[in-house]
Amino acid sequence: MPSQSDTPTGWRPRHGVYWLIIMPALAMLVLLYLVPLADVLVTSVTDPKPGLDNFLLLFTSTSVQKTLLTTLRIAALTTFVALLLGYVVAYAMRAANSSQQRLMLFCVLLPFWISVLVRSFAWIALLSSRGPVNAGLMAWGLIDEPLPLVRNETGVLIGMVHVMLPYAVLTLYANMRGIDVRLVAAARSLGASRFQAFRMVFLPLTRPGLIGAGTLVFILSLGFYVTPALLGGGKVLMIAEYVAVQINDTLRWGLGTMLATTLMLSVLAALWALSRVLDVKRLFGA
Amino acid sequence: MSDMSDRQGDIERFVQNTEGKVYSRRVFFGMCAALGVAPVAARLSPAMADQKELVLVNWGGDAVRGMKASFVDPYVKKFPDRKVAIDGTGPSTSRIRLMVQSGKVTWDIMDRNLHTALEIGPEGMLEKIDYSVVDKSKVRPEHAVEWGIGNYLYAMVLTYNTKKWGGEVPTSWKDVWDFKKFPGKRAFRREPDAVLEAALMADGVPFDKIYPIDMKRALDMHKKMKEHAIYYTVIADGQNAFRNGEVHLGQLLNTRAWPLKQDTKGLYDWTWNEGVSWGACWMVPKGAQGGKAIWDFIAMTQDPQAQAELLKSNGYGPVNPEASKFLDADWNKVNPGAAENYAKMLPGGIEWYAKNATAARQQLIDALSS
Repeated sequence: MPSQSDTPTGWRPRHGVYWLIIMPALAMLVLLYLVPLADVLVTSVTDPKPGLDNFLLLFTSTSVQKTLLTTLRIAALTTFVALLLGYVVAYAMRAANSSQQRLMLFCVLLPFWISVLVRSFAWIALLSSRGPVNAGLMAWGLIDEPLPLVRNETGVLIGMVHVMLPYAVLTLYANMRGIDVRLVAAARSLGASRFQAFRMVFLPLTRPGLIGAGTLVFILSLGFYVTPALLGGGKVLMIAEYVAVQINDTLRWGLGTMLATTLMLSVLAALWALSRVLDVKRLFGA
Repeated sequence: MSDMSDRQGDIERFVQNTEGKVYSRRVFFGMCAALGVAPVAARLSPAMADQKELVLVNWGGDAVRGMKASFVDPYVKKFPDRKVAIDGTGPSTSRIRLMVQSGKVTWDIMDRNLHTALEIGPEGMLEKIDYSVVDKSKVRPEHAVEWGIGNYLYAMVLTYNTKKWGGEVPTSWKDVWDFKKFPGKRAFRREPDAVLEAALMADGVPFDKIYPIDMKRALDMHKKMKEHAIYYTVIADGQNAFRNGEVHLGQLLNTRAWPLKQDTKGLYDWTWNEGVSWGACWMVPKGAQGGKAIWDFIAMTQDPQAQAELLKSNGYGPVNPEASKFLDADWNKVNPGAAENYAKMLPGGIEWYAKNATAARQQLIDALSS
């Protein structure tokens, strides 16, 4: 939608034309997205009987609570690791020359083009007890027994961090690029050590990037389905898979849609909170 | 068999359906499945208007070719004016419900299992089997119920690596729970049927005391197991975990253990001992249009020779005990329905699962999740 301020005043009467142009897309969005979404919301308070019984399960069902806690824990850990690794990569990218930057950007974006399914199976092959990682570590004599790297929570974390890393890197890089490097130089000239200049000048300036990247990664991590299902060995149940079980197997659609609704509301709440501290539009390059 | 209604299956089905060896109708069904179109949309197919054609719904893959050769071809030979189309998209419970409740029943015969027949039959989803045409005496008593008649057998069996423990191999679930004697990763399916039974057998419960299942006792056993095991949701994934050496022992479907043994030239093998056998069955959706032709077809599939042929094509065990006579000793070794193999196994408790499957599945998932 063109915002009012961007449009010269003389063109205002033609706004109707723009509306006509976006009508098909808007109609499709309403029909294929908003209507089913409304159906999900309605199901969550009507199945099996009208009322808020499904939402009460958030407070009474240990099964639901356990899944929510697992989801939050894994999303938080993924966010932490992705930020840590992403920060280093973004920092290096900022310091590199332009051809190095292009190469690094390419390497960061490469995983984006590969299906999550394929990547999950690749991790299983790499990290399993007979995979190259364990075989290599044993050949060097670093370990005697293969490490349990996959089909458990460790495997889920590795897989999820891998998927989330580009989001963290790109958001942080966009933020770091806007920082005036002369500020660090100024701090150094005033007698700060390298570490002090980083800690007291550069790091605080990247705070918006960290908050933005953290929120983005955290929100996306909450909804993971394929990665935990494959890399978790059936023992790491996150909310998306829990919803799938309710819809496909136990046929408790009220419970499934309630969790989907809860997930959506949490994401919206997180975005709202983010918008209070940051200019969200600028953060995502809009 | 909901166990095959996995994503892997969808993909296999779609590949199979688009290889060009099939008639257009199956391509259509396959595309419906791949696109996630609701089954009621299938009534748009013009071929649906053909009243003389029965629609048999099974789980795709080799079963389409196998059932066509063993069951459909002899039937069409006997009744040249009739036709049978096989739709491999899988009669899952939610799809059956959707079709029967919509009132547009386009399926005639469904390949599912006995405990589902007992679960959804009383809800009015299924026609009662016409035992004046279908012969109850051709199956064991536990394989004929009011809404379903056994069509083949499958079993969840103890599968193991033959070389890992210097000539020793596990022969019972007790061995599988013995982490010192048989170190190595285990594999179980993340579904209650047979997984709970194995735990109880390992804890010393005799066959006749397994049902009704003591959930707490079974789940406690799995809480001890879970750090040593993976719990697969997609059966092909479980089979793969064995093949690439990730797991060394555990529970696998007999129709997967057999190709696993062949693929690995005997590195993996299985035992029928303490396996859990299940009857797949024919079910007919309430309001099916096929009439008497349905029962004629089902009666013909009870032929022991046809069932013996089906075993050879894709490992589905004959439910008619007579079929063993049409199989030589080598084939009977892989036949879960052969008398000596069947006697070693626990017949799965279909009445218990008809009532408790949903709750048991949820409790198992909860117990396994970190």
